Amino acid sequence: MQALHTAATGMAAQELNVQVISNNIANLRTTGFKKQTAAFQDLIYEHIRRVGAQSSDQGTILPVGVDIGGGVKTVGTPRSMTQGTLSQTGNDLDLAISGEGFFKILMPDGTYQYTRDGTFQMDNQGRIVTAQGNPVQPTITIPNNASGLTVNVQGQVSVTLPGSSSSTILGQIGLTRFINKAGLQPVGSNQFTETPSSGPPQDGTATAEGYGNITQGSLEQANVDVVSEMSDLIAAQRAYEMNAKVISAADQMMQSTTALFR
Amino acid sequence: MQNALLIGLSRQMTLERQMDVIANNVANANTNGFKADHSLFEEYLNSNAREDNFLSSDRRVSYVQDRGTFRDIAQGPMEPTNNPLDMAVDGNAYFAVQANGAERYTRDGKFSLNSTGQLVTSDGNLVLGTSGPITFQPTDHDINVAPDGTITVLEGTARTDSIRGKIRMVSFDDPTKLTKLGANLYDAGGATQQADTKSAVRQGYIEKSNVNAVGEMGRMVEVMRSYTAIANLLQQQSDLHKSAIEKLADVPA
Repeated sequence: MQALHTAATGMAAQELNVQVISNNIANLRTTGFKKQTAAFQDLIYEHIRRVGAQSSDQGTILPVGVDIGGGVKTVGTPRSMTQGTLSQTGNDLDLAISGEGFFKILMPDGTYQYTRDGTFQMDNQGRIVTAQGNPVQPTITIPNNASGLTVNVQGQVSVTLPGSSSSTILGQIGLTRFINKAGLQPVGSNQFTETPSSGPPQDGTATAEGYGNITQGSLEQANVDVVSEMSDLIAAQRAYEMNAKVISAADQMMQSTTALFR
Repeated sequence: MQNALLIGLSRQMTLERQMDVIANNVANANTNGFKADHSLFEEYLNSNAREDNFLSSDRRVSYVQDRGTFRDIAQGPMEPTNNPLDMAVDGNAYFAVQANGAERYTRDGKFSLNSTGQLVTSDGNLVLGTSGPITFQPTDHDINVAPDGTITVLEGTARTDSIRGKIRMVSFDDPTKLTKLGANLYDAGGATQQADTKSAVRQGYIEKSNVNAVGEMGRMVEVMRSYTAIANLLQQQSDLHKSAIEKLADVPA
C-alpha cells in the first residue's frame, strides 16, 4: 500500500521541520543569527490514467487522469537574511551592521569567514578580534595607552593618544557583500563561508553602495520571531500526527485484508 | 455467487488508491503552493449475459472504478514571511520557470538569488520574467515587487528606482489540464496559456498548501471504515459459501 510510504515521507519531512524550528528557537538570543525555514516539494506522480488520453474512437478525451503522488521531500532550508533589531549594549567594541554587509574574519588557517555578530574584543596584542580570538579584517591594532575608542558609521576606528587633544584614525573596519547572501554556508560560531551559490565576496566599506552602516555600542539580535516559530511548531507537530494517523489507518486497512478467511 | 466478492474487490482497490491520494495530500500539508487532489469514482456496469435462459432476466452487476483525480485549485492561505524575495500569487495565475530546458509553472514563490544574481526557485530553476530571466546587480538593495509583478530596486547610492524586470504570470483556459510533475512544478499539457492581468503578486508572502487537514482526516476515516466494512462483507460471503457447501454435501446417513 503506497499510502504507508507516502505518510512516512510526510513524517520525515515534519521531523526535519521541527528540527529547523527548534534550532531557530535555540538561537533566539544568538547575536546576528538568521532564521531558517524548511521548504518542501511534492514527489513525482504515478499516472495511472493519463489526463487527455482518448476515451473513445469519437475522439472524446479524459478530462482528468488518475495521478497518485508519492509524498513529499525537503528541498532546502533557506535562510531568511532580514535585518535583526539592534540592541544597545554600551560596550565600545560591540558593533552592529544595519544593511547588507558582513564583517570579514581571518581564520587561523588563512581563510576568511564572514559574520554579522559584532561582539568584538581586544586580544593581548591590542588587535580587534572576535569572541574566538580571530582578527577582524583589516586588522586594527589599538595602542595600549590609547583612550576614547570610537568606531564611526563608516567603520573608522579612532582613539585619543596620550598627550594629544585630537583623535587619531587607526584604520577602517571593512565589510563584505555577497550577491546571494542566503547561499552562504553556516559553519557554526555565528560565522559563514563563501560557497559557489553565494557568489564571490565583494569587499567594501560601510555606507558605500548599500553595504550598510556600522553602529557602535549595539549588537544585532537574531531575526527569529518567537510567536511565528511557536505557531510553526504547532503546525509541524499536528502535520506529523496526521501523517502518523494515515499510517495507522492504512495499517488497519491492510490488517482487515490479512485477517480475511482465517 | 462470486459477484459479491468481485464487486467488493473493485471497491477495495479504488479505496486503496483514494487512501494513497489522501496520504499524499497530508504529506504535503506544509508544501508551499501545493494543491490538494481528490478522487472521483464512477460506476462500471457489467454487460448482460447474452443468452437469456434464466427464468427471470439477469440483472446487471455494477462495479466501481476510479475515473480520475481532480485538483482543488483554490487559493491556499498566505503566510507573511518578511522576506523580500518570497512571492505569492493572489489569483489564478502561475509563475513561469525554466526547468530542464522547458517552461514549467509553479505556485511556490519561495525564490532566492543564485551566484550570478538571477532570481531562481528553491531548486535553482530560473524564474521567468516577461522578457527572460530576472537578474540583479551586485549593488542592488531594497527590492520591491509591485502587484503587477514589476521588480524595482535601488542601485548603489541611487535614490531612484531601477527596473529589473517583470514577473511573468500565466493563466490557463483549463487549469485542470496541467499535470503535476513533482517538485512543485506543473507541465502545461494541452492547456493553452495566456498572460494573466487579473492576478497580483504579493511580495513577502508565501502561499501555503491548500490541503484542508480536517477534511482529509474525515475522508481518511471514511475510507478506512468502508474498506474494513467490505472486508467483513467478503468474510461473510465466504462463510456463507462455506456453510452452503458443507450443508449441501452433508448427506444424511
